[in-house]
Amino acid sequence: MPRARLIGLMLLFLGPAVAVYTLFSIYPLLATISLSTYSTTDTGDHVFVGLANFTTLLTDEVWSKPFWNAFFNNFLLFCVHMVVQNPIGIALAGLLSLPALRFRATYRTLIFLPTMLSVVIIGFAWNLILSPLWGVAEGLLKAIGLGSWFAPWLGLPSTALVTLSLISVWQFIGIPMMLIYAALLNIPEELVDAARVDGLGQFRIFTHIKLPLILPTIGMVSILTFVGNFNAFDLIYAVKGALAGPNFASDILGTYFYRTFFGYQLQVGSPTMGATVATVMFLIILAGVCVYLFLVQRRMLRYTF
Amino acid sequence: MATVRIAKLNKSYGDAAILRDIDLSVDDGEFVVLVGPSGCGKSTLLRMIAGLDGVTSGDIFIGERRVNDLEPAHRKIAMVFQSYALYPHMNVKKNMTFGLKFSGMAQPEMDRRVAEAARMLRLEPLLERRPRDLSGGQRQRVAIGRAIVREPDVFLFDEPLSNLDAALRVSTRVEIAKLHRLLGATMIYVTHDQIEAMTLADRIVVMNHGLIAQVGKPLDLYYHPANLFVAGFIGSPAMNFFDASVAAKNATAVTISGPGVAAFDAAVKNFSGPVGAKIKIGVRPEHLLAEGGSGFKIAGAVELVERLGETSYAHVRATPEVALIAEIRGRDAPNAGDPIALSAHERDLHLFDERGERIAID
Ligand SMILES: Nc1ncnc2c1ncn2[C@@H]1O[C@H](COP(=O)(O)OP(=O)(O)O)[C@@H](O)[C@H]1O
Ligand SMILES: [Mg+2]
Repeated sequence: MPRARLIGLMLLFLGPAVAVYTLFSIYPLLATISLSTYSTTDTGDHVFVGLANFTTLLTDEVWSKPFWNAFFNNFLLFCVHMVVQNPIGIALAGLLSLPALRFRATYRTLIFLPTMLSVVIIGFAWNLILSPLWGVAEGLLKAIGLGSWFAPWLGLPSTALVTLSLISVWQFIGIPMMLIYAALLNIPEELVDAARVDGLGQFRIFTHIKLPLILPTIGMVSILTFVGNFNAFDLIYAVKGALAGPNFASDILGTYFYRTFFGYQLQVGSPTMGATVATVMFLIILAGVCVYLFLVQRRMLRYTF
Repeated sequence: MATVRIAKLNKSYGDAAILRDIDLSVDDGEFVVLVGPSGCGKSTLLRMIAGLDGVTSGDIFIGERRVNDLEPAHRKIAMVFQSYALYPHMNVKKNMTFGLKFSGMAQPEMDRRVAEAARMLRLEPLLERRPRDLSGGQRQRVAIGRAIVREPDVFLFDEPLSNLDAALRVSTRVEIAKLHRLLGATMIYVTHDQIEAMTLADRIVVMNHGLIAQVGKPLDLYYHPANLFVAGFIGSPAMNFFDASVAAKNATAVTISGPGVAAFDAAVKNFSGPVGAKIKIGVRPEHLLAEGGSGFKIAGAVELVERLGETSYAHVRATPEVALIAEIRGRDAPNAGDPIALSAHERDLHLFDERGERIAID
């Protein structure tokens, strides 16, 4: 193929994607990073301040206390997803792939259903369910004799974040389930047959054969969870508003960024500090993804069957 | 070591009957090959013996035990799969010992068995490798090794050679035959390849549409096929069939004639059909002679000649409707367009009645 034609074809095929990606992803990212190195003076001018905003964010008590609070809350959110969502997702996928299961498609659809609902609806529904005034949760617990267990979970600083995390788990459990289910379907039937001849029951086949073979998918699910959680914002905002109450107990980086950038109630918005928070969020996610790509994924073997 | 006995075995998925009333006995140490076209139920039968598929009705015995309700691992069988089904995340040695570990076997015994199987199959240099670092032939040997270390009563093979290239298929076939002689174990082997069936089997079970068409020694199937299906399935190129009818009949013989086929007498006793009954004549390409045959005669023109060296296959057209293939040995094969006259000895003729069942010739 002549060189000019090759270049023409490359432009034709790559051009649109590169253009869109540059315009809507790369440019905003670079603009944000650049904005984070400026500060707004009282007269409204932007002046270059280098990394001063970052120093402020990480060392000035006024900024750093809520930042670290949001960071650790965010980490907790991620941990709940890793400990609850992904193992349950894997288990559900394992159950779905059992040969004897009936109504497979029905379960799959039902479990995946909440994922397709708007976060606003989910947040509103759970707010109602868990409400100590008119929620059904207390009544249901009473009906099975556990009335004393009930607490206004969304309202207590000690439980608000975990409750919100579990609501998010409930909503998104379908995604790891589907990804892992697809990976399980990829495992050849004869491999499972061979394991049965070797004397393994379905449970051990899952733990000893299937699980090791889908590790790459589990790794991918984990990193998607990480990225999703550290970008999270909507559920907290829908249920608790931008103040992420009670007393910032459910504040995460997304909501912290929102207040910083746009301002909220008494707080004045600061685009430059907001860009700084956004850049730090980007760096956290970048670091996590790099650790995964260079330390975890490289050691994992992918299997072709 | 054990016998395998299958009685009145049926298998259906929903309404679809996959296997119907299968009866089969396999002797201790026998090598039985299940052969038949794709989809006839060979794998299903093998998997039912292994315990991987449930039984709809009927019984399976391995040795004296009725195994219908036993888990595969408790049937003392080992299975070699078409795709090898090696565990990709374990090395060769672990692949072989994985099942043994679960049965609680002690390490020294496992080591002994692996060493022995590895020596038998020349796997010693490969023991630490993963399946993905092995060639197809090596993977197949590992799969066989995994079966051997189980020291099973019965080996089950499901098309173990069909993923190998032609040369490797021949050499692995020979190895499996040697292995059978060495181990003396009962083996049941599924294939759709009749050469594998003919070369490996003590006895062949020909299956068609979920039924057993015939069971017999390889040469029995070749010389005395019980029905049209077996006659056409065993042998390559396939047997030629000619439509014909009974022109006359007496106590010791019938006179047969048909389009393109000169009338001849065949020493058929006990032919129950009437004069005029339709029958089929079968003659193998290798039994059609350019000269010297007796009885059966057919003439036509050569349309095409496939020359393989020592043998050639002449595609002959006798009448517009009747075509056949004849094997010609030696150097002077005819050319396309040549006229040709062929005949066959009476002992090489096969006659089938209207239902496709064999009519015995004395
Ligand atoms: N799990 C199943 N459900 C329904 N039909 C099946 C199933 N497994 C096999 N069959 C059908 O049974 C028939 C025999 O299959 P199989 O034993 O695999 O044939 P083969 O002789 O080629 O090994 C085929 O027609 C196949 O479609
Ligand atoms: Mg098959």
